Amino acid sequence: MTVETKGLTKYYWMGTGKVVALEDVDLKIEEGGFISIVGPSGSGKSTLLNILGCLDSPTKGKVFLDGAQVDYRNKKSLVILRRKFVGFVFQTFNLIPALNAVENVEYPMYFNKPLKSKSERKEKAMKLLALVGLEKRANHLPSELSGGEQQRIAIARAFANDPKLILADEPTGNLDSVTGRSILDLLTRLNNEERMTIIMVTHDFESAKRMGTVIRILDGRIQQQER
Amino acid sequence: MKELFALAGRQLRRKKLRVFLIVLGIAIGVAAVIGVTALGEGIRVQAVEQIKASHDLTTIEVSAGAEAGNVTLITESKIKAIKQEEHVLFGAPYVKDSYVTQNNTYLAVKGVTPEYRGIHSNLELERGNWFDESTHSNYTQIVLGYDVAKRLAVTEDLGVGDEFVAKIRLYGEEGPPRDRSTALKIAGILESAGDEHDNQVFVGITEAMEMDEKDAYDGLLVKVDDPAFVASVREKIEEIGLNAQSAQDVIDEVNRLMVAVTLVLGFFSGISLVVGALMVVNTMIISVYERTKEIGLSKALGASDLDIMKIFLAECLIIGVMGGILGDLLGIGFSVVIDLVGKPFLISTLGGELGASLQSGSITAITPSILAVGFAISLVLSIVSGLYPARRAARLSPLDALRQI
Repeated sequence: MTVETKGLTKYYWMGTGKVVALEDVDLKIEEGGFISIVGPSGSGKSTLLNILGCLDSPTKGKVFLDGAQVDYRNKKSLVILRRKFVGFVFQTFNLIPALNAVENVEYPMYFNKPLKSKSERKEKAMKLLALVGLEKRANHLPSELSGGEQQRIAIARAFANDPKLILADEPTGNLDSVTGRSILDLLTRLNNEERMTIIMVTHDFESAKRMGTVIRILDGRIQQQER
Repeated sequence: MKELFALAGRQLRRKKLRVFLIVLGIAIGVAAVIGVTALGEGIRVQAVEQIKASHDLTTIEVSAGAEAGNVTLITESKIKAIKQEEHVLFGAPYVKDSYVTQNNTYLAVKGVTPEYRGIHSNLELERGNWFDESTHSNYTQIVLGYDVAKRLAVTEDLGVGDEFVAKIRLYGEEGPPRDRSTALKIAGILESAGDEHDNQVFVGITEAMEMDEKDAYDGLLVKVDDPAFVASVREKIEEIGLNAQSAQDVIDEVNRLMVAVTLVLGFFSGISLVVGALMVVNTMIISVYERTKEIGLSKALGASDLDIMKIFLAECLIIGVMGGILGDLLGIGFSVVIDLVGKPFLISTLGGELGASLQSGSITAITPSILAVGFAISLVLSIVSGLYPARRAARLSPLDALRQI
């Protein structure tokens, strides 16, 4: 999926005044790319990711996904976009505690209609678990899994609806460096194998550099873009 | 749909104690309503059974009709018409008069045909004979009810075979009333019938009508072959302008009264259901708070507002089903307890005949419809109570919800 922004601007109003989260961001990401957005806390990188993932709406500017402009006022179309085209990976994994590993992976498929049969979905979820190397943990609850394992399951979940765009917000932020590296390796491998666009927010510039294009962002503005 | 409930069930299983407490709360409310309703229904059934046992359900009591100022009298031709109706076995007309003896003892006199005894089969002779209207003599034969006979024996020293003179006061269309005397002979005395007949003096209808100079009957009993046809025959009788009553009227009256009483009691016991509903609202709101992040996540993963609402409502529905089942079971338990504890209490309080009549059978009656209503109340209650929390969950902004710690 190609991702393009034009003059993307986001302001927050907090107590005393206006906070600039994003200012006039122009961005073009090619299909199948692996882009890392780096920058200090509060630089606006998560805001950018949330707007691209249709969770937040811009104050000004336009977003094009595969060339089609996103209508942020149309709540239903945002739901459809999230459901069919976007997969999220969060810093805190965000698995549902009541569901076991394979059910967590199946969960997004439940909302993606037309529904395939339950057995088909389970089969697919098991394949995705195998992809992240956790098929043996299928029946474990999140509380019974390590952080790295939980994040792998979250990644498998992000792939559940065959998205064209994976948005990962500090996916290694809550993991030790070894586990973090294995998660990045997994994302790289999936990017290569599945040919989907991945946008990752991180503050780890060194590892970001190894992945592909890096976009530096500061005070809501893109500072530089490097390969 | 099945998966939705599986998902909802999973969520509920994580907080078993909480769910159990709400379910119990609803169930107690439902059980209270069921218990009260079952008591009302039980007493109603008992009352109706008693009426059926003591009343002849195949008899229609016909009296003169009065509608918009027009009086329709029971005449020979009307009786003939009624007798020709389908399912009518026979008709027993009667007249009512009041005689007075020379010692000023008043006698309630009923002029009857032999068919009258066919309807009131409890009229048994203790001594003497029934009168035979075909034999003419210069006195009128009478049969005394049990109590009248005792009274006359004491006050006038009269018994079977004795003759005496009584007067009847006649009110003509014009002029002052005049008195007419007649000689009466006691042909028989009845055993105690246990009803109004004990105070009645019976005389042949022809003689009675000669005495009182009436040209219409005061009443008519119509015997129908089956209780099922009473209503239709009754309608026909009313069509010709006469007034008709049957034991069904009393039963209808009792039914109306008990249904009203039960509704009022059920309504007030239903107030406990409000508590249950508030528990559901409270618990679900807490649940929405606790799962705010999960809701945000679900939305990020593609859940629509409706999807979120459905998950929460499915949880409420499961609570409702469990509350309904448990409520029904507790309700049955309640009514058994009411029967065990309440019945002896009622019997001792009411005492006498009414109390004794409760001895057999139970004072509560659980019907499938009572249980169905109890179940439905629980379902509707939990769904309605869940609407607000579910809406609240559905309207959460995914981003804000995800930011929640």
